[in-house]
Amino acid sequence: MSSIRLSPAVQRNRRTLLGFISALALGVSSLLPMPAAAQDRTLETAFGPVTVKGEVQRVITLDEGALDTVLALGMQPAGSVAARGAKELPNYLQERASNVPIVGVTREPNMEAIFAQRPDLIFASPGLEKRVYDILSKMAPTIVPTTPTTAPWTERNALYVEALGKQAEMEKLIAEVEARIEAMRARIEPGQTFSVVRWMPQGPMAMSSKLITGQLLSALGMKSTEPAEALGDRPHSDILSLENLGSVDADWVFLATLNEQGDATLAAAREQPAFTRLSAARNGRAVPVDGQVWSSGTGVLAANRILDDVERIVLKP
Amino acid sequence: MSTSGGRKLLGRVALPCFLMVGLLMLASLLLGAGNLSVLDSLRALFGRGTEEHSFIVFELRWPRTILAVLVGVTLGAAGTIMQSATRNPLAEPGLLGVSAGASFAVVLAIYFGADTAGVHFSTAILGALAGCALVLLTTQMRGAGTDPVRLVLAGAAFSSILISITTLILLHDQRSADEIRFWVIGALGGRPVSNLQWAVPGLLVGLAMVGATTAGLAAMSLGERVAVGLGHKPVLTRVLAMAGVAVLVGTATAAAGPIAFAGLIVPYFARRLVGPDVRRALPIAMLLGPSVLLISDILSRLAVRPYELPIGVVTACIGAPVLIAVVRSHRLPRL
Repeated sequence: MSSIRLSPAVQRNRRTLLGFISALALGVSSLLPMPAAAQDRTLETAFGPVTVKGEVQRVITLDEGALDTVLALGMQPAGSVAARGAKELPNYLQERASNVPIVGVTREPNMEAIFAQRPDLIFASPGLEKRVYDILSKMAPTIVPTTPTTAPWTERNALYVEALGKQAEMEKLIAEVEARIEAMRARIEPGQTFSVVRWMPQGPMAMSSKLITGQLLSALGMKSTEPAEALGDRPHSDILSLENLGSVDADWVFLATLNEQGDATLAAAREQPAFTRLSAARNGRAVPVDGQVWSSGTGVLAANRILDDVERIVLKP
Repeated sequence: MSTSGGRKLLGRVALPCFLMVGLLMLASLLLGAGNLSVLDSLRALFGRGTEEHSFIVFELRWPRTILAVLVGVTLGAAGTIMQSATRNPLAEPGLLGVSAGASFAVVLAIYFGADTAGVHFSTAILGALAGCALVLLTTQMRGAGTDPVRLVLAGAAFSSILISITTLILLHDQRSADEIRFWVIGALGGRPVSNLQWAVPGLLVGLAMVGATTAGLAAMSLGERVAVGLGHKPVLTRVLAMAGVAVLVGTATAAAGPIAFAGLIVPYFARRLVGPDVRRALPIAMLLGPSVLLISDILSRLAVRPYELPIGVVTACIGAPVLIAVVRSHRLPRL
């Protein structure tokens, strides 16, 4: 959650500059004859235009959304960072990944481990430090999107897809998810409220309704609570005082935990009188969910997994 | 010393201190991060508030108020005895390795898979006592058990080791700092009420232990030989005092997390009010401790509404400047 953020002013300047450069690039490229076979593609990344040549064989994913994307497209990354708070890939992606080497953690990629994989493409998270970028980009073209975590989930990973040249495949996958949402939407009673929180002993952190989970639940016709709505571009709130716990009460309260002890978290939360008096808790509608998907995930695989959970929890068979 | 003059002074200081605790307890019930006014809280206090407001006042603010008082008494007493036994006015109970031990145990438990929300009191108090026992053992090694300076040095060194291992685990594990920071800094809100069942016996046992040493410690401030001549046993007194401090600080840390500086500044103020005699400073410190904790806790709730700060941040913000001012402006009394 604490990836480095650029100030809005810097981002704005950067965008203007990017626009200028890309306009220039477009102008120049239109004058040149396009090579047909190699399908070179030039992408506008946070650090300027980057050209990716030919078929990508060995891609390193330093971002959970990038890993989700690569796996969803039926490829295997040459290396990936471990999930937040874990030593392995996110649980929900493990069944699709086979023997993907771990090359560090989200905050600290291991340069030597990455180099050892001889990558021909590197996917990093938005907000990557220039210092790290400079090293990575010497090893392989490095793709750093500018999309914030609160961007529509279908756009969040678009630059990675473009770099792989698989827009058509991804459009199909996204269309499948959207069709699934349409089908589920009809079965969900509209207007039900929800909030997604990370539960701490001193109180909950409300996860922004603009993350993928909130976007999907809203698309299903459910409504977010006020504090999660009001976070702007921040992915989650600070730890809310227990005195204000009522403000995140809803028809459904999803407790995102970063490891698999969701039931223990629920039991610990139940020790708090402030929690047990929530209407969601009284109605058995405060439910633990996998935080690796619900609070850190993003991509079509995450989307499908969240919809699985909604089917299991909200649309009980 | 403990003539009628001393007792009169004690009474004159104790009463206002006692009243201050009462007023601050009331303030602690009336002020908070919640979306209700002081007047709403007051109505709830007299049984005329809405169900929501009564809940906030009685179920959320009342337990943490009690916890602030208990932890304040504990840290005030522990700090006074610690400084007296080590004859060092800047000694902090945290130096015994207690806070570092408790944080270490909690982080270790989380590392080995416990969910942060499921970490319990017992883990923290075991870590606190283990940390303290190791520090005491270290100083016992070369027959140095009677040397208070070595105790403080060993405690500081040992705490540093534990803190660096804790940091190492945190860096290695990459779990978000949010989840662990409350255990590393300390906070009063949201502690399960069941903590009190453990904290009260811990406090009583610890107080009985240190209470038994005050006469010995007061005599020892006149010199070891004088104390021996008066029939006291300095080594036994010091060991009992340290063990008592460990129980007290272990209890406080397990109940609310490590709270920096409270054990350091409270005894200082107590001595300013009633002089260096530990028999008078101890009860005053036990009254001042709750006030310091209550003020810090109230500030922690009001500073960033609707969120809360951990109280450890507030005590550090208040305590550090006070400590610097003290060191710069007064010649420290020798104990």
